[in-house]
Amino acid sequence: MLIYLQSEDFDAAAMTAALRARAGSAAGAIATFTGYVRDHSAEIGTRSLFLEHYPGMCESVLRRIVDEATSRWRVIDVALAHRFGELAQGEQIVFVAVASAHRADAFAACEYIMDALKTRAPFWKRETLADGQAYWVQARESDQARADAWQAPTADGAEAPGTASTQTESAGQPVGKEQA
Amino acid sequence: MIKVLYFARIAELTGTRQEQIPLPASHTSTAFLALLRERHPALADVKNLKMAINQDHAAANATLRAGDEVALFEPVTGG
Repeated sequence: MLIYLQSEDFDAAAMTAALRARAGSAAGAIATFTGYVRDHSAEIGTRSLFLEHYPGMCESVLRRIVDEATSRWRVIDVALAHRFGELAQGEQIVFVAVASAHRADAFAACEYIMDALKTRAPFWKRETLADGQAYWVQARESDQARADAWQAPTADGAEAPGTASTQTESAGQPVGKEQA
Repeated sequence: MIKVLYFARIAELTGTRQEQIPLPASHTSTAFLALLRERHPALADVKNLKMAINQDHAAANATLRAGDEVALFEPVTGG
């Protein structure tokens, strides 16, 4: 696995290419997810975001999450980047790329990694609005519900919240609708 | 001694990011958390206080040992 925890921006295309080179010719699929700094407050507008993190614990939690995904689905290799520090509106925050033989494993593992990261990786966002107000972003219950859904066995044995027939309302939403 | 780290809003409320606190007679994380809340009254308003022990999310009533690293924070908001 490739894991980058850094304050500077990352090159998603270069990371995807590096992952593809590592994964080799067996990788018939690479699923990627990129999260960006969005406007949390539509009325006033977000000026910037500060991401605090817990050095050491961040790395070990991210590694464990990737290990979990790798043991649960047929994954060849994973590349992950997460930034910390001061970020401007529109900048990249997080990137996950999963190489697999087939798309189903790549999609599921990529989604699992993001859902687990959102609820377990020790990062905290402090948002500064255009008018100068600043506050710590509060965790959302919908994120916890998505992460929990991966742990709940379903009647038909399906595991992915996005594909299971018994999916919950929150887990069924496409990830792309929300901020990373 | 226990090395205690505070992150994000919790660091602002306690006014410190790190301190050393003697391990209390009761070695449970619950007792230690009560001690920290007493030491930092500003934490009274925090509804969802999370703890990590040695850089791992802690279970409800974990056992602490001298030399452990304890971190206090609110639910994470990365990604």
